[in-house]
Amino acid sequence: MPVDAKHLAARRELAQGISAVERPGPAANQRIQVALATSAAEARNALVVGLTGAPGAGKSSLAAALADVARAAGRRVAILAIDPSSHESGGALLGDRVRIDEHPDDDGRFTRSIATRGSGRSLAHVAAAATILVEAAGFDLIFVETVGAGQVEIGIARLADVLLVVEGPEGGDEVQAMKAGILEVADIVAVNKSDRPGAQAAFDRLRSGLALGAGAPELALVSATAGAGISELLATIDELGAGRGVRGRIRRVEAHLVAAAESHVDAQVREATASGALTTRAEQIVAGTQPLTGSITALFGISESPDA
Amino acid sequence: MAERTTPIRVLIAKPGLDGHDRGAKVLARGLRDEGFEVIYTGLRRTVDSIVAAAIEEDVDVVGCSILSGAHATLLPKLVASLRASGASDVLVVAGGIIPEADRPELEQAGISGIFGPGTTIAEVATFLRANARRR
Repeated sequence: MPVDAKHLAARRELAQGISAVERPGPAANQRIQVALATSAAEARNALVVGLTGAPGAGKSSLAAALADVARAAGRRVAILAIDPSSHESGGALLGDRVRIDEHPDDDGRFTRSIATRGSGRSLAHVAAAATILVEAAGFDLIFVETVGAGQVEIGIARLADVLLVVEGPEGGDEVQAMKAGILEVADIVAVNKSDRPGAQAAFDRLRSGLALGAGAPELALVSATAGAGISELLATIDELGAGRGVRGRIRRVEAHLVAAAESHVDAQVREATASGALTTRAEQIVAGTQPLTGSITALFGISESPDA
Repeated sequence: MAERTTPIRVLIAKPGLDGHDRGAKVLARGLRDEGFEVIYTGLRRTVDSIVAAAIEEDVDVVGCSILSGAHATLLPKLVASLRASGASDVLVVAGGIIPEADRPELEQAGISGIFGPGTTIAEVATFLRANARRR
């Protein structure tokens, strides 16, 4: 059956909404408020699952596999796939759809690729706003996928109701440093590619390492491409996300407010860098003609605490 | 570009059955370096799935790479489907092996640009900047 206007109308409206909130301003805020009101009125409490991990760990494939299982159970599922924008050109190559099957005639699915744009972080500023819109459009399970890079992933931890860290079978000593930051905030760590040699060993290493600390995350051994352990992983996600109620939406608004503040600061930093004001100020500080204290206010318009 | 506040979004698609995506990948990477947001969808996509992806990604441009000779069937169908889905302001361009003789008919069907072998990335980028919808 060919897709037609009727089939795609709702998805088109949502897609345009996300583009609109990618341009910050009063119109974007208005859209977000309307979406929040819709979700409140219709008691929509979507479960937002963050997926993060090193490039190549299989985040897109795992999100797609989880989405397939959830959709087969009748749930409405969305995937927001975030990839970095180039610092050089501002462009981005968003390639996650390669690993996500298209379902053109299924309005119970929605996939959107998002570039980080002005965010110097691995989470796009618009990510929280986009989840708020997707929730209001009636999707009850939303996967947000970001490339992981240590401490900066606190952003996705703030946004997600359940945070899933995805590891490849080669997870070992070299990536331990990266793991340290993110494992503290992970709800689940999934070792993917269980069909490959070394996956069981990586899982065992992780389990014995994490057993030493308190508040250890849940562990899973899965294969996204072979479909192994996916239903069980979804059950664990649901268990951890149960009972969140309106709390999830409050969390998303918190994440949006933080993103808006970061967006503002990032813009000020870009401006001060481009105009040369940053370098000029640094030169003055080095020469002793300007004090360090007060410089942040002068450059970026952020008030400094009195004892800073 | 000065009047645009956001990057132009381009879907690069390989409709039909040919399995050669080197050209599509070179273009995807090249446009990234020209400041475009490129959504790459991979091989062997149906027209319907390209339309759905274009809608969900809210792209300004759909670029198709076709080497199989099926352009005369697939491209007009793609333009018609986009229009039927309310995305008539999306620019459709094509690249690959498309004979000169087939071009007038494709242009008639709404394919805005046809780029044969030897086209540079810069030429494509310039064309897209000049012709993609404003917003």
